Amino acid sequence: MIVNSLELMVPILIAALGGLLTERAGVLNIGLEGLILVGAFAAIVGANLTGSLLMGAVFGTLAGLALSALYSVACIELRSNIFVAGLATNLLAAGIVPTVSALLYGTRGVVRLAVPVSAQRIAGVSVMVPLAVILAAALHVFLFETPYGIRLRATGGNPQALVARALSPDRYRRFAMLCSGLFAGGAGAAVALRLGVYLPNISAGRGWIALVVIFLGMRHPLGILAGAFVFAVFESFAAAAQGFTEVPGTLLLGLPYLITLAAMVVYSALGRHARIER
Amino acid sequence: MRDRLTQGSFRSSLLAVLAAIAVTVILLGFGSPSWSSAMRAFFVQPLTNRFYLGNMLSSMGYLLIAALGIVIAFRCGLYNLGGEGQIFVGALAGTLAGLALPGLPGIFGTLLVLIVASATGALLGGLSGLFRRLWGAPELITSYLLSAALIPAAEYLIVGPANDPTRSLLATARLSRAYWLPRFFAPSDLNLSFAIAIALAGIVYLMMFYTVRGYELRIFGLNEEFATYSGIHPTTYTLGAMGLSGGLHGLTGGLMVAGTYHAAISGFSGGIGWSAIAVALVGRLHPLGAIVSALLFAYLDAGTKASMLHTEFTFELGTVIQAVILLLVTASFVVSRRSS
Repeated sequence: MIVNSLELMVPILIAALGGLLTERAGVLNIGLEGLILVGAFAAIVGANLTGSLLMGAVFGTLAGLALSALYSVACIELRSNIFVAGLATNLLAAGIVPTVSALLYGTRGVVRLAVPVSAQRIAGVSVMVPLAVILAAALHVFLFETPYGIRLRATGGNPQALVARALSPDRYRRFAMLCSGLFAGGAGAAVALRLGVYLPNISAGRGWIALVVIFLGMRHPLGILAGAFVFAVFESFAAAAQGFTEVPGTLLLGLPYLITLAAMVVYSALGRHARIER
Repeated sequence: MRDRLTQGSFRSSLLAVLAAIAVTVILLGFGSPSWSSAMRAFFVQPLTNRFYLGNMLSSMGYLLIAALGIVIAFRCGLYNLGGEGQIFVGALAGTLAGLALPGLPGIFGTLLVLIVASATGALLGGLSGLFRRLWGAPELITSYLLSAALIPAAEYLIVGPANDPTRSLLATARLSRAYWLPRFFAPSDLNLSFAIAIALAGIVYLMMFYTVRGYELRIFGLNEEFATYSGIHPTTYTLGAMGLSGGLHGLTGGLMVAGTYHAAISGFSGGIGWSAIAVALVGRLHPLGAIVSALLFAYLDAGTKASMLHTEFTFELGTVIQAVILLLVTASFVVSRRSS
């Protein structure tokens, strides 16, 4: 159960860390869901093309980067509204993935991984778990101990300070958005490669969960680590419950969203610090 | 990163729509064995006969009402991203109410369906407004999550307990015939909803630009703090605008049931909630602009459906069009942007 939870934590954690970078740079990234989706699909395509899981992960990450590049051009170069562009990112992913899938595989639905899934394990846990935790720690150091990270935080907190120092907030925002694409793409790859298959709507709300986890984790990498673990524990409970309850599967599809909604509302009600930069 | 919803110009709308058409033409080129016939289907077929023309205007009406809901919310500075769920769940609730009371005199039956649908939508939208007002929970996250949580529940009811086993469709039973809205352009399903939509656009226009409430709503949307200090009551506008927005989405669902489908069917909303956002923004968040952009969108949508029959594989062309438009519609193509 704990092993399972730790492994389920990985995609949520990685996506939330990517979202944290944009959040700290003053961009509430609602495009995470779409970035995860393209990452998951591209990972399966990449692994099938090259026969290597590692290359699959690279493809997934790059696909996330490519989509977030489009997103950041719209937001920063063209000054589009970030929420509307984020929505567009999600819809673009939902439209492009089935189209490419139909072109490549002649199906809009399930795409199986042709490479055997052989996760490298350390002490019985997928190697992805320690890697994701190291990523969280590294991001903590980056955000709080390096000049670049401090400027990135100022982009969200006090962009005037950057302008006063002749630094461009746009540069840090662009960097944060591209990183969030890399991270979310990697998160999608982690989901798909673990399952060994691409399914329609495989992201299943993880982008939104990640978004809420950022707030639950107090916009802090280590807090996000804890928040992502809590959600993963819940997810593995829900998966186990599906086996021995009569609740129909269709209904359960809505459950992650409902829990995330409850978490967001309760968090706001308790903390009152969910001031969203707009 | 300031809000740029009401800023930007008509030019952005035009460029966004042209870009979407360009992407469509390219995608159809990839996907169809006969590019010219697909092109013809896309651009010409929606206008060729009464059936296509009427159906296009019919879907324009539904799009317009939902888009008016978006105009109200966005003008008030609130992001209602739960339109899909508000339309779907509203439609289902209206249908179930109509099925529960099948014997009412026609007009009251129709009203029952529409009122229950609107009230359900208003409740869902208003809930996000309430969370925002009480605890500052971002409405763009809560409205989306609420909608995403409820759509599977609605699907479950339609394929499960509320399913009509005598029909082979994934749908509820049909409403009694007396509840159907009159159609007036046979054989298409153009019906009274279209007239209601146009009338609503006029009403929202008058409300928004010629009443104190409308003025206050726009001020609130431009600067919440300033509005609050000026004595504009924030609860009225967060709750009111989100409730009204959700209500118009619910009404859209109810009218789609009473006018076109006569039942709640699986996959009911089918992206119309997302299209409504694009319609509202292309219309520069103006109720009368929304009429024009709803017509344009309905035309693109009809063209998309027609051209699909000429392609080798089906793909989510409608979704791609929505995405391209949303990506560019709020962009400002002004050279002097470096000044900030």
